[in-house]
Amino acid sequence: MTDWNCARSEERLSDYLEGILSLAEAAEFSTHAGSCDACGKLVKQVRGLVHQMSALDALETPPQLIPKIIESTLGPRRKQSGGWQRWFARVPQFWQPQFAMGAITVAATILIVLYTTGISPAKLKKADLSPANVFRTANRQVHLTYARSAKFVNDLRVVYEIQTRLQPDAEPSPAITPAPAPQPNSQPPSVNPQEKSQTSPHPSHSQSRNGAMLASLLHRNWAENVGVIVIGDIPRSPR
Amino acid sequence: MEPDAQLVQGCLRGEGPAWEELVRRHTRRVFNLCYRFTGNSTEAEDLSQEVFLRIYRTLASYRPAFGAFPTWLTSVTRNLLVDHYRRTRRDRLTDSIEDAMPKLENKQSAARTPDKLALLSELSAQLQQGLSRLSPELREAVILRDLQGLDYSEIQTVLEVPEGTVKSRINRGRIELARILEEMGLRPQN
Repeated sequence: MTDWNCARSEERLSDYLEGILSLAEAAEFSTHAGSCDACGKLVKQVRGLVHQMSALDALETPPQLIPKIIESTLGPRRKQSGGWQRWFARVPQFWQPQFAMGAITVAATILIVLYTTGISPAKLKKADLSPANVFRTANRQVHLTYARSAKFVNDLRVVYEIQTRLQPDAEPSPAITPAPAPQPNSQPPSVNPQEKSQTSPHPSHSQSRNGAMLASLLHRNWAENVGVIVIGDIPRSPR
Repeated sequence: MEPDAQLVQGCLRGEGPAWEELVRRHTRRVFNLCYRFTGNSTEAEDLSQEVFLRIYRTLASYRPAFGAFPTWLTSVTRNLLVDHYRRTRRDRLTDSIEDAMPKLENKQSAARTPDKLALLSELSAQLQQGLSRLSPELREAVILRDLQGLDYSEIQTVLEVPEGTVKSRINRGRIELARILEEMGLRPQN
C-alpha cells in the first residue's frame, strides 16, 4: 500500500486514465497523485494531451492522391464519358462487315420501296405514314405505272401501224415475221417496229388514203390514253 | 455500404470499381498514418501510393481470419513506414549533423517548414513537431492509439508485440510527448 511511488504512478498512468486499474490500485494512484505535485501535474498534462489528440480531426486527403493511386494500380483511367459515348463503346462488336452489309442492304431496300410507292423521304409528312394514305399513294402509283406502260405500248402500236400502212402492200419479208395484231389491209412488217424515225424506203402509192387512216388512228390512240390516265388518276374507282 | 470483405472479393474477381471503392474508403486513414509518422506531406503521399500498390499486389494473400481489412491495411502501412524509416535513417543523421553545425543561411529548412505545416492547425502542427521528436517505436504506438483510434488488440496485431509491450509503449509515448510539448511551451488543456 505504502510502496506506491512516482515511478509506479508513471508506469500505470495510462491504465489509470483508461480506467483499467483495479479499484484498490486506482485509489492508491489517486492518493499519490494528490499528494505529489510532479505526478499530479503529469496526470493533468497527459490527460489533456490524450483528450486533444482524440478530438483532433483527421487530415484531408490531398485531392490528387486517390486518382494517382488508382492510376498506379489499375492503369490510366479514361475520362468519364457521356451516355451516348458509353453506348457507342458497346457498338463495335456489332459493327462488323456482315452487320454493315446487312444494314446497308436493308436501308437500300427501304429506299427502293419508298421510291416505287412514290413516297419522297425529303417531303415526307406525318400524315403520309397513316395506313390509309400509304395505301392510297401506293394504289395511285400502281395505276400511274400501268397507265404509262399502256401508253407506251399504244405508242408502239401506232408507230407499228403507221409503218405498216406506209409500206407497199406487196413486199413480203421472209426474214422477220413477227406476229402482229390482225390489221385490215396490212402486210407483215419488214422492219423493226421500234425504229420510229425510220423513213419508209418505198414511197406510198396511196398517200391520201394513208393520211386519213393515220389521223383516225392517232385520234383513237389519244382517246384511249386519256381514258386510261383518267381512270388511273382516280384510284378509288378503278375499272 | 458494402463490407470491405465483399469489396476484396470483388477485387480478386478483377472488378475495377470494387478496388476504386476500397481505395476511396481507406486512403484518408493511410495518408494520416503516413503523415503523422513522417511529418512530410510529399513523403506521406508517396508512401500511401506505395502502400496501395503493395496491397493491390498482395490482396490474394489477405485472409479475414488475420483480422479486419483496416487492421491488415494498417499493418502493411506500418511495415512500409518502418522500412522507410530505416532506409532514410542515414539521410536524417546527415541532416541532423548539418543542423547542429552553425549556418549562415538556412534556406532549405525555411522552404520546408511551410510545406510541412501547411495542412495543420497550430495545435496540430505543434503536436506534429512533438511526435517527430519521439522515437519511432513510441511514435507509432501513440499515433495508432490516440490518432487512429485502434484498440490494444488491434495494435498488438499491427506491431506484432505482446500486449504488455503495447501498453508500455503507449504510456511512455504519451508521457514523453507531454513533456516535449511542455518544453515547447504548449500547455495541454483538460
